[in-house]
Amino acid sequence: MVHLTINGKVVKANEGEMLLAVIRREGIEVPALCHHEAVEPFGACRLCTVEITKEEWDGWSNFVTSCLYPVEDNLIVNTHSPTVIELRKTLIDLQLARCPNSPEIRQLAEEYGITKTSYEEIPDGDNCILCGLCTRICDQMGFAAISTVGRGHGKKVAPPLDEAPPDCVGCLACALNCPTNVIEFTDEGNIRTIWKKQFELISCARCGKKTITKEFAKALSELRNIPIDYFEICDECHRKELVQTMGRIASWSREVVS
Amino acid sequence: MTPDFSKLPQIIDRYPKNSESLIAVLQDIQKEYHYLPSETLKETAKALDVPLSKVFSVSTFYNAFSLYPRGEKVIRICVGTTCHIRGAKVIQQQLEDRLKIKAGQTTPDLKYTLEVVNCVGACAMAPVVIVNDKYYGSVKVSDSKKLMRRG
Amino acid sequence: MPVQTPQQLNDLQKQYLADEEKFARKVLVCCGPGCLASGAANVVEEFKKLLKKKRIQNFSVEALKETGCHGLCEQGPLVVIEPQGIFYTKVKAKHVEKIIETSIRKDEVVTNLLYTDPKTNQTIERYADISFYSHQHRIALRHLGKISQYDIRDYIAQGGYQALAKALTKMKPDEIIDEVTKSGLRGRGGAGFLAGRKWATCRKAEEQPHYVICNGDEGDPGAFMDRAIMEGDPHSVLEGMIICARAVGSNDGYIYVREEYPLAVQNLQLAIDQATEYGFLGENILGTGFSFNIKVSRGGGAFVCGESSALMKSVAGEVGEPRAKYVRSVLKGLFDKPTVLNNVESFANVPVIINEGGEKFASLGTPKSTGTKAFSLVGKVRNTGLIEVPMGTTLREIIYDIGGGIQNDRPFKAVQTGGPSGGCLPESKLDLPVDFDTLTEAGSMMGSGGMIVVDDRTCVVDLAKYFLGFLVDESCGKCTPCREGLYQLHRLAVKISEGEATEEDLIKMEKLSEMIIIGSLCGLGKSGPNPFLSTIQYFRDEYLAHIREKRCPAGVCRALIRYDVIAEKCDGCMACIETCAVHAITGKKGEVHVIDQDKCDKCGACYAVCNRDAIKVT
Repeated sequence: MVHLTINGKVVKANEGEMLLAVIRREGIEVPALCHHEAVEPFGACRLCTVEITKEEWDGWSNFVTSCLYPVEDNLIVNTHSPTVIELRKTLIDLQLARCPNSPEIRQLAEEYGITKTSYEEIPDGDNCILCGLCTRICDQMGFAAISTVGRGHGKKVAPPLDEAPPDCVGCLACALNCPTNVIEFTDEGNIRTIWKKQFELISCARCGKKTITKEFAKALSELRNIPIDYFEICDECHRKELVQTMGRIASWSREVVS
Repeated sequence: MTPDFSKLPQIIDRYPKNSESLIAVLQDIQKEYHYLPSETLKETAKALDVPLSKVFSVSTFYNAFSLYPRGEKVIRICVGTTCHIRGAKVIQQQLEDRLKIKAGQTTPDLKYTLEVVNCVGACAMAPVVIVNDKYYGSVKVSDSKKLMRRG
Repeated sequence: MPVQTPQQLNDLQKQYLADEEKFARKVLVCCGPGCLASGAANVVEEFKKLLKKKRIQNFSVEALKETGCHGLCEQGPLVVIEPQGIFYTKVKAKHVEKIIETSIRKDEVVTNLLYTDPKTNQTIERYADISFYSHQHRIALRHLGKISQYDIRDYIAQGGYQALAKALTKMKPDEIIDEVTKSGLRGRGGAGFLAGRKWATCRKAEEQPHYVICNGDEGDPGAFMDRAIMEGDPHSVLEGMIICARAVGSNDGYIYVREEYPLAVQNLQLAIDQATEYGFLGENILGTGFSFNIKVSRGGGAFVCGESSALMKSVAGEVGEPRAKYVRSVLKGLFDKPTVLNNVESFANVPVIINEGGEKFASLGTPKSTGTKAFSLVGKVRNTGLIEVPMGTTLREIIYDIGGGIQNDRPFKAVQTGGPSGGCLPESKLDLPVDFDTLTEAGSMMGSGGMIVVDDRTCVVDLAKYFLGFLVDESCGKCTPCREGLYQLHRLAVKISEGEATEEDLIKMEKLSEMIIIGSLCGLGKSGPNPFLSTIQYFRDEYLAHIREKRCPAGVCRALIRYDVIAEKCDGCMACIETCAVHAITGKKGEVHVIDQDKCDKCGACYAVCNRDAIKVT
């Protein structure tokens, strides 16, 4: 058990926890665009930066990203000090120069009192903030179909060789978790298109609803050792069947008793 | 003109078949073919058991790699600090104007590629230009024609 | 062949020294980075060709050695004749025959190839007498220029691998770390972390295995000390690494060499092969049961890979994106295991520390910055090259006593140190001692040792813009403050250089710099604004001239200058007309030329080629 102070309040934390988890547990809101519980913290957006100090540091303080900084005994944390606020404003201002039309970034900017970027807008900017979540989530899912391409300011997220990525299974984990909703996909009829690749969607054998792509089903089947025909039926219908089966079992046991 | 890929397995075989060897393999491929053809990226991914997306990421992150065919003569102008203050930019412009391409490009006849490089460690002889691995120091502005003939 | 005992090593040393003494002369041809760029390879070829044909008593082509960097690159190609110590400069292939007949067959000197002291205008025969050398104290560079780059026998003859024998057979790992700690050796790559402390932490780390990595990335433009050591004395690096491996308990090492140094890769691999043959690497080193192997890992061409966590990712075959170092890489480094990462020059110092003791090393330099430091002194100084001086030597001594002052007697403006993470210091700071801490307090940084001297024809705004552009190009792009912040800082610097900026822009840049320093993930971003901050600290007037007067005092920023022909001096030689890429100059042969200001793009090529002094820039 570790004891530290956050915004003046002494709190308890477990060894090995990161500051951000503790901060959130205390109900304090700190933006963290590149953060997601399903993947390792990355430290790219820098928005979750907090000011830390200790009594023995004689007034010197450090600025660290709370998503990656492990808790320490007697740490004194300030999540909204003047310098931290100024840093967040600068970061948002810089992002706004890159994505002036992104609703999510504009909303965050408004929270911090910024309506327009004070810097030069990037020509041909898109709404990608290069948080890297899509690529990291894709890696975590086990597919590693997309990655960051290039380096520095011209970096972007793209499929390899700018062609349909051979490893993509159309699971949509990237698109559904993008903080600025940049990744486009379409579901038309039983065809899903994402990253210039087309996939066939499975229709539930019971209710006909479209579920997941054939490729994703195959991958899940191999990764999790599930028979492939399990995926012919959608989750809801599986549950309905399960309820019916349990209901039948319950009525059998009642019959036996009575 | 497609490159001869029969040598490729030989090149990959020089190194242990794991992800650690990726950069070394790509460098040897670059040296052999003067660029990284997309087939080689796909083969490398398979042979080293590395996702294609990672191979592509690495091949676009580092300066050493080119995804496009390069010329017979690769002229690299050092634009490190010392070369910069001793006039590397003027030499770059002279070469760009004579070859009618910008740094980073290759002439349409595939004879010349012009590149800039961030310091080759011969700073005492700035400005430095390298033509196909041969170093030329104390290059003068009027040397651009000479450099094109070298290498 | 493997050397099994220290006694065998002693015998080999005696034997190799005796082999050398068979020859009445030794010819050392410098094949360092600078001399290679001025044609040393041709000189070597010519020597080999002629020596095979000629018959000279007590001499053969075996006594010809291709050595590492002598240091005085400005005067290269350099050839030294021992035992006299004669120093020949600007040697070309056509001079070789004369040198052989004069200084090898006979004991005389070819006077027109000697070094001329710029202050006294006298020629000097022996390099030991040249002030460039007499002011130096070479430890890390001790063998450069004296031994063959390619032959381990030379290294052994000079006492090489004796430190390793001592460390493995007479010392315990903790004692090795004690000695390095006593020496006060701080990381020569620029961060200046105490090497002894790093090694001790790694040794204690429980997780296995431990790794030793040598950082040969040397990304700072203007620095080539590590390149010279890796090419000219690779065994000193290997020996240092093996001793470290013994101390921290590692069996696997890597030397990470930047992609732009192919010769260093070659020479290091050759040295590794030779050392393995002799049993200094591999299994059961010197019969002690200790094993250590070194692999050369080539960089892919990325400045950011000089940063330790990015370097380790590159060794693992990944993109070189750094990670936050809240958990230090000495505990979680390569493949997430405890790793000691040290610079080339740091390792090169280790054998001397073991042989002569840590206290002796600590007696040089200053109390907090012990020992010596290698610098690449380049830019607008007369004697550009590689030097090594005790820590605490002042900038003035280095630039004037060793460097010989400014070329063409132009006024000194600033000295830029520490690469893109460092800064510029003006004349008023020339008496500062060079060490890890003093320059940092003054707003710059010693860094890895690159020292670039600029004169009044260098514009600091242009220099800041150059460094920012460099960093934008080399940024890995992972974190916002560096990727977007330095980009915007660069755009504002461009604005200033084009005369389009306001004083509010300067304030904006200062504020943005502060945020980039606080917010960036790694050292590249955190020190990125330094070139701007140090120049604005000492040269604010120059910035204001660009902003308020739209004037570039140094005559560099293209949007703010113009080139004109001085009619009285122009004799119509057509040199500028031939050079002008945009055909902005008109005039017939023999007639005064005229520059059309509308077509001129201010590239400065005409100014550079005119040797009648007939073009002026305002």
